[in-house]
Amino acid sequence: MQAKMEQGKRKGKVAKQKETKTDQRLRKETEMAQSRTSGGKLFMAVVYMLATCRAVPINDLLNRASERSDEMYSLSTGLTKDLASHMSPLSWPAMERPALCHTSVLPTPNDKEQTLQVSESALMSLVRSLLQAWAEPLVILSNHASTLPHPARINISNKIQNLQDYSKRLGDGLDILSGKMGPEAQVVSILPYHGGTDLGHDRNSKLQKFNFLLSCFRRDSHKIDSFLKVLRCRAAKMQPELC
Amino acid sequence: MKRRLGLAVLLMLSAALRCRSASPPGKPVLIGCRSPEKETFTCWWEPGFNGGLPTRHRLFYEKEGSEEVHECPDYWSAGKNSCFFGKEQTSIWVEYSLTVVAFNALGNTSSDLFKIDDVMKIVKPYTPENVTVLVNDTANTPYLCVSWNHPPKVDTKSGWTTIKYELRVQKEDNKPEIFHPNKKNSFKVYNVDPGATYTVDMRCQLDQSSWSEWSTASVVKIPNYFQNEKPFWILVSIFSVIPLLATICIVVLKRKFVKQWLLPPVPGPKIRGVDVQLLKSGRAEDVINALIGNQNFPPAAAWMDQTEEYLLVSDSNDWLLTDPYISQKKKSLVIPAGVQLEIQCRTSAPAQSDCENAEVGKDGKVEPDHLAQTKESVLNVAAPSVSSGSKEAASGNAAGPTGYVGIQQHKGTQGAGPNAAQWDYSWVKEVNGETIFILKNEDAAAGWTVPGWEENTAADYSRVKEVNGDDVVLLQKHDSADSSCKKKEDRSAEWTNQKAKSRHGSDCGKGACLQIAGNGYVDSVPRFYVE
Repeated sequence: MQAKMEQGKRKGKVAKQKETKTDQRLRKETEMAQSRTSGGKLFMAVVYMLATCRAVPINDLLNRASERSDEMYSLSTGLTKDLASHMSPLSWPAMERPALCHTSVLPTPNDKEQTLQVSESALMSLVRSLLQAWAEPLVILSNHASTLPHPARINISNKIQNLQDYSKRLGDGLDILSGKMGPEAQVVSILPYHGGTDLGHDRNSKLQKFNFLLSCFRRDSHKIDSFLKVLRCRAAKMQPELC
Repeated sequence: MKRRLGLAVLLMLSAALRCRSASPPGKPVLIGCRSPEKETFTCWWEPGFNGGLPTRHRLFYEKEGSEEVHECPDYWSAGKNSCFFGKEQTSIWVEYSLTVVAFNALGNTSSDLFKIDDVMKIVKPYTPENVTVLVNDTANTPYLCVSWNHPPKVDTKSGWTTIKYELRVQKEDNKPEIFHPNKKNSFKVYNVDPGATYTVDMRCQLDQSSWSEWSTASVVKIPNYFQNEKPFWILVSIFSVIPLLATICIVVLKRKFVKQWLLPPVPGPKIRGVDVQLLKSGRAEDVINALIGNQNFPPAAAWMDQTEEYLLVSDSNDWLLTDPYISQKKKSLVIPAGVQLEIQCRTSAPAQSDCENAEVGKDGKVEPDHLAQTKESVLNVAAPSVSSGSKEAASGNAAGPTGYVGIQQHKGTQGAGPNAAQWDYSWVKEVNGETIFILKNEDAAAGWTVPGWEENTAADYSRVKEVNGDDVVLLQKHDSADSSCKKKEDRSAEWTNQKAKSRHGSDCGKGACLQIAGNGYVDSVPRFYVE
């Protein structure tokens, strides 16, 4: 009896093993088939993506970049206005520029004729350099904004954080854009900031430095915006409504 | 002497006084600067007291990043006491420091330093040009269509400036609404009320600069369409109310008629001949009578639409010749002696009672009148007649008026074998049509004599053609066709011959002898023969 039971068990085991083997084989086969089909699909997807990705025109990219820079510039003008508000003219420190902006060393066109004469790649390079130059100072500004002796500091702090965000996004987009332009667009001049990480010790110097930095930033953001819009208009010859 | 001295002093004093009114000029004040298109700018100043002497003002400026002092290039283009900086002198994103100096014969005076942080800060465009407002009235939804041109002198082709517009719409004395059009030249204002007056003006901005002045306002009045259409709608409403009232009156006055027409009464269930009241009374007999008694039930055989006649010929119940084939052909039946004939009358019209009567004929009459009506007079059947009191299956054969018909007498059951039955022989009195009149209680001779043919008999007689031996009687099916009559005659001749032949070679012995051709019936086709 026992022998029979054992025999039965053995037979059962063997059957199970056979089953598992066939199952494994089946599974492998199905997996291979699936991988083949999925591989084919993946290939097709990649090809399609390449085809469609190639098709994004520079016009669109420039348009988006211009919109970003416009937002950035309007934010910065708002910021300077906020800073100038709530302060009576008497207590406002003298609007003297203590120094040149750290980005003044970069030669940029200053009027329309000069700007229109510069090549597109050179303009793109200027824009990227300017944007890159403000990455660090914006961090300093945002660090000190919350402790600024100014009634609207929370509002200012929020806006500076937004500015950082816009700046980063614009930088990423411009990296992609410059890849589609000439080799000169890849050149990014480094403009280091030497102003130190703190704004000063007393209230007036803090406010003054803050104001100074902000005004420099506003100016540079306007340069960026103007150059990008000129580029956009140049690229969109068939769409005069973009100019 | 003294008078001369006095006059001299007076003269000197007046001269001195005249000399004291001339002084160096007063300090000029720079009022402001403005750039209308981000390419040039103009600055104005206010001169001070001129000191009584002709004074001249000069403007000097410094640009950021260089120590060089420049003088204003253009003092006249922008009017008096102004300085116009042209395209070559204008630099954006550059700080300017301006000073105005007043010069006269006695000296000069400088104004305070005027700094322009960025030319962008002094940008203020002119107002948009040609702002026109049109009222567009399509399909009772009027809207305002505002169109304009860009401010003068602004470059819109190269992308150097981005112009943003602002549109202000004020309804009469309400709070104005501000719109920011996306398009460059036109804008549509919906949500305007007919009959109201609107004031529309615009201003613009370059790159987040200061806004321009408001343009000259355009005032429009939207015509009041509703009032124009009021009488029309009044007429329409009147003309629609009158028929409505009329229909209401009609409906109210002729309620019943309308109700009947709209909702016709549904007839209740009704059985013909049955009185509902009777049923309601509930008495069982009445109910049954009502439901059943009035019916004229058709005879049970009525469903047999075909005029088929079946002739069941059975010899001791073994022979049942019920073939539907019969009904379609003219047949003759050869019936051996001792064969019972059971008639099954299947006709369309007559009542079953006729057949029954054929079986159960008390007075010896057989009246299968209905047989004559059949389309195919299939068989001539000797209808059984019944002796009084007992049923008898007709057996025997149709014979001519002078033939004998054998009638088997049944006592009680029909299934008795021939041996058990007693045979009564009756003289066939007359064959009338398909009826066979049998005289009862006549003893027949042992033998039969075959009557001769009667050729003059009517076509619808049934005849016994021949009696062949003791057992066989040839029945001639009669039909109305002459041709067949002739055939009959021919056949008869054959038969007689055959009969002569066949007498010898007859296989018929006692018992059943039936020539079966095909399905057991002897066909009217001249292959009738009996062997």
